[in-house]
Formats: sequence, C-alpha cells, structure tokens
Amino acid sequence: MDDARAEQKERIFNGISASPGIAFGEAFVMNVEDLAVSEEHIAPEQVDAETEKFLAALAQTEKELQKLVRSLEDEIGEEHGKILDSHRMILKDELFRSETIKMIKGKKVNAAYALSLVLDKVLTTFANIKDEYLKERAEDIRDVRRRVLRNLLGQRVEGITSLRKKAVVVARTLTPSDTAGLNKKYVLAFVTDAGGSTSHAAILARSQGIPAVVGLNDISKSVRPYDDLIVDGITGQVVVNPAPETVAMYREMQARYNELEKNLLTLRDYPGVTLDGHQIELSANIEIADEVEDVVSHGARGVGLFRTEYFFITRNTLPSEEEQYRYYSSVVKRVQPDPVIIRTLDVGGDKIARWVGDLREANPFMGWRGIRFTLARKDIFKTQLRAIYRAAAHGNVKIMFPMVSVLDEVRLAREICEEVKDDLKRQRYVIGERPEIGVMIETPSAVAIADLLAREVDFFSIGTNDLVQYALAVDRGNAKISYLYDTLHPSILRLLRDTVAAAHKNKIWVGICGEMPGNIYGALLLLGLGLDEFSAASYLIPTIKKIVRSVTYDETRSLVRKALAMGTAREVRELVDRFIHEKRPELREFHPEAAS
Amino acid sequence: MVSGSARVKNKNGIHLRLAGELVKAATRFKSQITVSKDGQEVDAKSILGVAGLGAECGAELLFSVDGEDEGQALEYLIDLIDNQFAQETG
Repeated sequence: MDDARAEQKERIFNGISASPGIAFGEAFVMNVEDLAVSEEHIAPEQVDAETEKFLAALAQTEKELQKLVRSLEDEIGEEHGKILDSHRMILKDELFRSETIKMIKGKKVNAAYALSLVLDKVLTTFANIKDEYLKERAEDIRDVRRRVLRNLLGQRVEGITSLRKKAVVVARTLTPSDTAGLNKKYVLAFVTDAGGSTSHAAILARSQGIPAVVGLNDISKSVRPYDDLIVDGITGQVVVNPAPETVAMYREMQARYNELEKNLLTLRDYPGVTLDGHQIELSANIEIADEVEDVVSHGARGVGLFRTEYFFITRNTLPSEEEQYRYYSSVVKRVQPDPVIIRTLDVGGDKIARWVGDLREANPFMGWRGIRFTLARKDIFKTQLRAIYRAAAHGNVKIMFPMVSVLDEVRLAREICEEVKDDLKRQRYVIGERPEIGVMIETPSAVAIADLLAREVDFFSIGTNDLVQYALAVDRGNAKISYLYDTLHPSILRLLRDTVAAAHKNKIWVGICGEMPGNIYGALLLLGLGLDEFSAASYLIPTIKKIVRSVTYDETRSLVRKALAMGTAREVRELVDRFIHEKRPELREFHPEAAS
Repeated sequence: MVSGSARVKNKNGIHLRLAGELVKAATRFKSQITVSKDGQEVDAKSILGVAGLGAECGAELLFSVDGEDEGQALEYLIDLIDNQFAQETG
C-alpha cells in the first residue's frame, strides 16, 4: 500500500472557480455508473439467489424513490416528484426485469453485470436519438441504474447518503435529487466535471460557504475514492495526491485566506461608509431563495437582485401564483426591513423552450428575452406580479424590469402592475401597497434615454455584464475576441457616468448589479462615479465593504475624473494601480496579483 | 390485429414522463401493443422502449394492437397522442 502511495504522482486539474475557499480532504467519488461493474460467473445453483438479489435491489430502490418523491414534492414542488415517478416506472419495466433475469440465468453472471448490460443496450438506442432534448433523457436511465447498483452492491459502492465522515465530494454532475440525501455537514468541498458558476453544486457550495470547482471535464473518472485532494476555489484548481511541498504551500494560503475572511467578517455589522462619511448600500445577488442565509451571514443589506428565472427553468411547468408567493415571501421575510429587489422573469428563448415551444433564435442575446418576453406573455407576467405584490405585504419589496430598451415597455409594464394591484385588492388580498418600481440599465439604448426613463421609475440598476457586451459588441464567451471584453473600457465608464447623472438629476437612486464591483478596480471607480448601491454575490460583500471603508469618497471622485480622461482600459488600470500604490497601499491585498 | 398512426404534437416530443403516460395507458389494455417509429419497433408497455424511440415533435408513431380489446386500445392511444396527452401544455 505504501509503495502504491509513493508512486501516485501529484496531478493538477484546472476548472472554473464556483465558490471561494481552500479545502483539503479525501475524495468521495459519487458516480457509480462510471465504476466498472465486473463480470462474475456464478454456479447454476446460485441463479435463484442472484435473481432474488436483483429483485430485492429493485424493491429497495422503489422504497427510496417513494420517499424521495414525497420529500421533493414538499421541498421544491410537485413537478420534480413527477420526474422521479417515471424513474419508478423504469424499475417496473418488464423489458428491464425479464431481460436481466434472462441474462442472469442464461449467462450465469452476477446481477450487477447483467443489469448493466441490459441498460447499456437501452442507452445505445438513446445515443442514436437525434433530438438533443430527448437524447438527454438517457441521464434519467443512468440515474436509475446508479440507484439500483448502489442497493445491489451494498457497502461496496459509495452513495451520497453513505457519506459519514468529512470528504470532498467528486461527481460528474450534481442535481437537486442527488444532493437531497446528502448530509451537508460532511462535505468539505464540491468538485464536478460539468457545470458553470450557476450550476446546482456551485450555488449549494456558496450557500454553505465551502469551496467548489466545476467544469473539470473528467475529474470524476481520474480521481479514485480516498485520493487526497486540495480544492482551491479561488483560482479554480484541484490538486490530486499533492506532494508534501504543495500541501505546505496551500496550508499557508488557506491560513492567509481564512485570516482575511475572518477580518472581513468582523465588518459584518458595519455599514458601507467611506472614511469621509459617504454611505453606499451593499446588497447581494441571489439565484435561489435558499441563498438568503448567505446574504445575512455576509452582512449584505438586503437583496439587490433576486433573479427569478432559476425557479422557472428548473421545472417542466410554470410555477403557480401560490408557489411563487411562498417562494418570494420566504426571502422577503428573512431580510426585512432590508429591501429585496425582485427582478421579473429574465429568460431568453433558449431557456424556456420547455413551456412556450421551440424558440431557437439565431441571435438570442438580441432576441425575445426579458421584458420583451413577459410583455408578450402577459399570463406569465401577471401571475408573477400577483405573487410579488402579495409577497410585498411581508416586507420591503422593489420590482425591477430587465432588458428595457424603449420607454413604451416601462409604461406598459407599469399599467399591468396597476391592473394586477386592482385585481388583488378587489379579491381582498393583502398586498404591499407601493413597492418601488425600477428598470435594469443594460442596453446602450437605455443609457441614451436614461433621462426619459428616470422620470417614470423609482430607481435604476445597471447590469454591467450585459451592458458591457452590448456596448462593446463582444461576446465574452468567444475566445478570439474575449480580450476586448473589459469593464474598464472608457466607453463603459462614460455610459456609467451618464446613467448616474440622469438618475441623480431626476432624484432617483441608481445601483449596479453585476460582477464589476467585485474587484478592486471596479469597486473604486464605481464608488467615485457616485453609484448609490452595489449588489454582488454574497461572498464578495465583505471584500467590497472593506475597500469602501478604506478610502475617502473625495479621492475616488478625483480618481474617476482622471480615469474619464484616459484613452484605453490599460491606462485606466495603470491609473488605479498608481492610486493604490501611492495613496492606499493597505489595499494591495485585494489586488489580483496579491493572490499569487 | 389493428393498426393506426398518430403524429406527435408535444413540443418536446415523447420525453421520459410522457413515455410513462403512454405506457400507463397501454398497460390498461389486455392486448399486445407495439409502437414503432421509422421502422424501430418496441413494446408500448415498456417505458424504456418507448422513451428509446426518441419521438420528437412531428414524428409519426405507428401502433399495432393485437388482442380482445384491440379496437378500443388503438383508439385510446391515438386520442392520447392527438390530444397531446391532455394535461401537457409544453
């Protein structure tokens, strides 16, 4: 064993950082389907016993699924329960049962191998399906296979419910049904092959405050159970069987990171106020209601962007008014009297095909999305607004419309709001009377008419991620041109300046929600530009707060005046670097280069 | 034996859950029922078989029903497909 250990070379995998922090631990590899099930020959007199084992495993799996259906229906709605219902039908499938039993008898092989062969054959037919959506249903079959194998092989295979000590969970992908049975206090970190920063594993990790790295391609196949891992959620690296020097280096980094985090969290109950007394609201972006605990624990003041689409696109049918009402209310109640800005459904055609039909568009980012979609589907819009107005009775709710590019959209949306309010009152619902209504500023057109928009709404929130890509005409997912995607580009700074000016002239407040305030450059410049509110991922709030509390508003204003005179993003960056170096050297720890 | 065909109108085709609905319906009848698409024929009472057809929106499904309640079964199944599985709006 020691020899084998010594031979294990250190290996490094690069993925996407989905939740920050550094963790050390043994791997708990979750993907049973990728474990090779070996062929074992059995004696003729064992055939009956092996068949019994197979049927018992099916019965056991059936019981598990029944339990899971009930808990999922309680947790996230009936629709998810229905999907598992079809998993139960797979267990009962005559073809599956009889073919497997025939295989056990005919070939005299173990049940696990027999059922794997039978399902492999089924999966081959799925691989030939042309329709992508239908083809992906193969995942459901793999899910069932994994459950049955787990019961068949007992303790020899790791199931997530068998996690009994602290470990790093390594999986191909993680779905809500995978993590439903997970004892979260044993999870040190998540590491997955698939996914981006909004995948389920990423969101769960951030809400638990543990590191996660996703998008690692095939790490779940390369890592063996009990391999030692280091998960670096800051840079998105995973080290497998690290050498002692590597461990020592990361221990030091972890200590530094934890120390920094601890210091930052001591600011939790302090406001975001500069040395010269200028206050700015620091609130958090959330994707799902559960993340609200994260908002509170990081000292954010309310929710500056509650993205509602996640609740819609993770299911097969539209959520009802009641479901939405309960969902929104849970967040509103938790943070009140602090505000919750609920953004109405912001989906593009690619995400909603399931309930509005095939909407493949040549250019979805310039297509039917955001307010354009909800104004066309008033049924969906009204149901959501009804739920929001009812949730507003429980605290401080603001409503925000995404993707506005013309004035009429705001007028129409406000009319619908009034209609919905009148209906609710007539029906004697308790509602929040006057939630503020605002718009996202994320198209260059909205910036150009910001003065007109400002007269008709109560606030602006600038969505930098989209605004930058529309203004610079750069798709940042395109590797050939992604170098052009730069939030410090002078054109972006000017758009921001004009938006703030239009808002303040009309006496409305203006915030920003996007990744821009999350780094030292963005934070300093946005502060100096006069934004009233920053909304960012919860885990970034302590850092932003520390930066805000370390400078004067006055000096950032003068920094911005100089930045606006610069010709390129590089010059702006150098200007900020000089500012930090000369005026605020204590901020150097937040500089991207300080991490290495 | 009777046979007949129907065209899938559900936007996402016969995915796993709808395959389950179809199987539940077929299982109510005593007859042997097969369903085929583009020459691939499966037992209509097997969810793995039906879902494995990958019947997308617009695909034509051919049913062959053999047994004492064959006429009734065929009519029921074709109605089910034509009515887009009734409750399913997507």
